[in-house]
Amino acid sequence: MSEQFKPNIVAFLCNWCTYAGADLAGTSRIQYPANVKIIRVMCSGRVNPLYVVNALQQGADGVLISGCHPGDCHYMEGNYYARRRLKLLKELLEFTGVDPRRFNMSWVSASEGHKWKEVVEKAVEDAIAAGPFDQFRRRQIGW
Amino acid sequence: MSAMLLNKEKWSEFIGKLSGKNLWAPAVQGEVKKYAPVAEGETVELDEGNTTVPPKALLFPQTETLYRFSTGKEELEFPGLDEEMVLLGVRPCDARAMALVENLFRWDFDDPYYLKRRELTTLIGLACNEPELNCFCPSVGGSPDSTEGLDILMTDLGESYLLETVTEKGKAIVEEMKDLLEEAPADALEQKEQLAKGAREKIRRGIDPEGIPEALPQLWEDPLWQRISAPCLGCGICTYLCPTCYCFDIQDEIEGSAGRRCRMWDSCMFAEYTKHTSGHNPRPTRRERTRNRINHKYSYFVDKFGVIACVGCGRCSTLCPVNIDLIDILRQVKAAQ
Amino acid sequence: MDLDKLRKTAAEVVSRDDVKYLIGWRRGTFGYRVAPHFIEDAAGVDELIFSPLCIANLANYLTLTEKLPVPRGQEADTRKVALLVKGCDSRAVAQLIVEKGIKREDVVVIGMPCPGMIDWKLLAERYPETDVAAEIGWKGEDFLLIRGEEEITIPRAEVLAEKCRLCRHPNPVLSDITIGEAVEPWAVAEDSGVAEIEAKEAAERWDYWEEQFSKCIRCYSCRNACPLCYCEDCILDRLDPIWVNRAVNFSENTAFHLARAFHLAGRCVECGECERVCPVGIPLGKLNRKLARTVREEYGFEPGLDPEAEPFQASFKPDDPEEFIL
Repeated sequence: MSEQFKPNIVAFLCNWCTYAGADLAGTSRIQYPANVKIIRVMCSGRVNPLYVVNALQQGADGVLISGCHPGDCHYMEGNYYARRRLKLLKELLEFTGVDPRRFNMSWVSASEGHKWKEVVEKAVEDAIAAGPFDQFRRRQIGW
Repeated sequence: MSAMLLNKEKWSEFIGKLSGKNLWAPAVQGEVKKYAPVAEGETVELDEGNTTVPPKALLFPQTETLYRFSTGKEELEFPGLDEEMVLLGVRPCDARAMALVENLFRWDFDDPYYLKRRELTTLIGLACNEPELNCFCPSVGGSPDSTEGLDILMTDLGESYLLETVTEKGKAIVEEMKDLLEEAPADALEQKEQLAKGAREKIRRGIDPEGIPEALPQLWEDPLWQRISAPCLGCGICTYLCPTCYCFDIQDEIEGSAGRRCRMWDSCMFAEYTKHTSGHNPRPTRRERTRNRINHKYSYFVDKFGVIACVGCGRCSTLCPVNIDLIDILRQVKAAQ
Repeated sequence: MDLDKLRKTAAEVVSRDDVKYLIGWRRGTFGYRVAPHFIEDAAGVDELIFSPLCIANLANYLTLTEKLPVPRGQEADTRKVALLVKGCDSRAVAQLIVEKGIKREDVVVIGMPCPGMIDWKLLAERYPETDVAAEIGWKGEDFLLIRGEEEITIPRAEVLAEKCRLCRHPNPVLSDITIGEAVEPWAVAEDSGVAEIEAKEAAERWDYWEEQFSKCIRCYSCRNACPLCYCEDCILDRLDPIWVNRAVNFSENTAFHLARAFHLAGRCVECGECERVCPVGIPLGKLNRKLARTVREEYGFEPGLDPEAEPFQASFKPDDPEEFIL
């Protein structure tokens, strides 16, 4: 591989904090890697773990989920549920042999444009280190 | 039918020659025994007992691409079916099941996928010298040395295998292996008859199906179905692992601009099997589904094709996690008559 | 085990006006099989047994039994269901109550303190099954196989089911009637199955599970046998949106098994039914037990012990672990 591997990262961002934080990064002209494909959801607590599994099945090399800091949830406690749930998912993926670097979760508030840049850089760096993920791809296995 | 003898000393050579022909044979993988490809240089050890997954999975794969499509392209892309296949060590019951299932795939419409595969496949069977606990093939018209559906039937005579040729396809294989085989002496045939007789005597379970196809329609509303189906989990073990179950579903799988149409096994034990678009389900509970499974095998198939769609392999009884035992169900049906 | 007392109690319970039927176990039709037994009147209790082969978790039938719409002009049958439970089964009942899957007042729980169950596959390796249903009992710590005149003592360690080796709650956590004396919980060995996998490298773990999931034939017996998989509309049966394709291949099988294991995280009572019923021997219990251990060790929660508890995934604590979050 002479050309550097460009990972595909699917990011599920909560509408109220991280999505706005990513928006702030944009309006502030903060540059960050273009590998993330953002999907806006209303709350990190809305992220069904199957979204993650499905993303990995359909060609994502990494998944990033980001929401409001604890205590800041627009719906009071959605991110607390997400925290429990996604911790278990992370453990499960790791146990089945998925590289833990493919799964990241973060708290990024609407004012943290810089933190968003750092989180994305970390996620991209992790996914590059983990390499392309195609052992699980629907099209490669089933078709 | 010609009979040849293969000395076991020449077994690995025999396998070596066959393995160039896309050879599949039963292999133990962890807890399950199922058919696996035999690579060149590998050997095969045939033992007693049957596979968990029947060889129907090779002729009628659990998931099969019918064709592929993509946007902007008018032509459909059909998978080429041209590879020949040899299955070794097929039990007479499983081979008979393939012959029965062919009735369906040739019925009102010739199924090109199944029939093509069947045509490309040579079945080398192995007679059962030691039937398993739930074997009951003689009850439903089979036998431990039945040749129905097979191209060649092998019998383990201890020092050697007796190969009986059944079809032209089988003849071609025997012809090719000529150097390894010798003409079977009369006492080998005699020994084989004895083994087959011994095997039939060793079969411990069974039932005379006489009268069952006629009785089933009369028992449509009988309370026995409630009793039988009460412990049923509604899983697909009995149907998926049945060598004569052939129900399938057809689905399109699409990703981006391309996709495929494929068919996959389906099971009448699932609620979804008969569920209408409206949400109505004509078989709303496990009672109706269990009743259908038995009726299909022992009544509807008999009406349509004149033969019971069960070969007595005993898989459903052995593998059911809650002891729903086909032989016991048939006994109850006879008792309720 | 006092079988007469069990049968007498069962007869009393099924004779009650407010009880629809009782679910217990009866001898199977051959070998080491035992079948769930639905008893509607006192005559049925003669077949009732409780032996080391009664491993099936009957709590499953509380939610598995279809509830058809009541025809116009008829009254719904609101009578209770009586159920025999071992320690693990009672945890499933408690968890169902927590989740409001059933109401406490709709069941009559007959608790059976459980000295440990046999994995019949291990037993069959030593003493092959015959066409006659075997009789098996407990004998002190060990098991006793009775075949005609012959009585064979089988050491506990040889045939004890894996879930029973790891069992921490052999006595029912809830019951209306208890039959027999409470048993002393035994020393629980480390969960070597899970530890073995954790010790592997990520790539080896992937290979291990790839081999396992590739075997899956998607008969859904693991889902159907699970007392806590009772969604009326399971995501696996959905076609729109389709979460897991119907195709059977490694990719879809993995998605299915991840979904199944995840949906039981913080709910699984480790009754081992999923693993027991799997026809192709996928060690599903390891996935469940791995998550159960995380929940126990990192959140201090064990499901199915307290019918008043909050469901694990529908509750939180402000100081839940979050070291993995950036």
